[in-house]
Amino acid sequence: MHAIVIDDSRAMRLILRRIATQIGFEVLEAEHGQEALDILATADPIPTLALIDWNMPVMNGLEFVVAVRADPRLRGMTLMMVTTESEQSNIVRALAAGAHEYVVKPFTPDAIVEKLALLGLAPSGASA
Amino acid sequence: MSISTGPTSEDLRVIAEEVWASYLDPEGIRPLLLDYSPDEKLDGSDGEVSAAVSVTGAWRGHVVVACTSAASKHAAAALLGIGLDDVGGDDVADALGELANVIGGNVKSLLPEPSALSLPHVVIAGPSSGSRWPAVTELCRLSATWYDEPIVVSVLESTSREGASAA
Repeated sequence: MHAIVIDDSRAMRLILRRIATQIGFEVLEAEHGQEALDILATADPIPTLALIDWNMPVMNGLEFVVAVRADPRLRGMTLMMVTTESEQSNIVRALAAGAHEYVVKPFTPDAIVEKLALLGLAPSGASA
Repeated sequence: MSISTGPTSEDLRVIAEEVWASYLDPEGIRPLLLDYSPDEKLDGSDGEVSAAVSVTGAWRGHVVVACTSAASKHAAAALLGIGLDDVGGDDVADALGELANVIGGNVKSLLPEPSALSLPHVVIAGPSSGSRWPAVTELCRLSATWYDEPIVVSVLESTSREGASAA
């Protein structure tokens, strides 16, 4: 399985890459939504999972979710927001736009893995 | 505008301890210590690093994380999983910026909605928060030490609309 981590922080991309790698994903990285779309335009295979920050330059995470949902080629992707935006209204906006899950920073590796397990993308009971 | 309720120093403590437990000290070996005297303020000297995010909307102001250069290097090393000697300026900017982003996002959740969070702004060896944002009042502050180095998190409320933009 492949995943793409989209976050403008190199440190956060590294943390999420470690978690995803430990449960078996091969990981791509992008610094913002537009870079991720550019990568996905030629990705083969298309990643199963995207871990997406909200506040990023160029294209934010919500705009990325909307763009992915508008592209039939990417309809199979599971989208998980991983962000500091914790207001209920923003969670509702992201889920309404097509995100499958929502994790608020700071998070523990186990919190990410548990969410992925609920989505069938990590073994139940796995830990990172 | 002023708010009657908002984040307190206790809120900052809870948020900071969660950030440290998640990213900087997951093993509980080097926790954030709340024994730092507020009188020993970071003074904006050459050794200071600060990262800030601005909040705009129903509440306007800034959340600032300031620390010594030494503490910022420890943070970068911990977040990026690299040795202290390998930490460069870009690493410090990335790490402190993300700390400000995470802490600021959690502070924003305690403020009136709707509001938006800016991207982080990092100043290495820059002036202290007091001189960077003259049109603000300090709403609350957390003073702590990590690796025996001072770290201060402060929430600054803008006293004018023009004062809300990061310097």
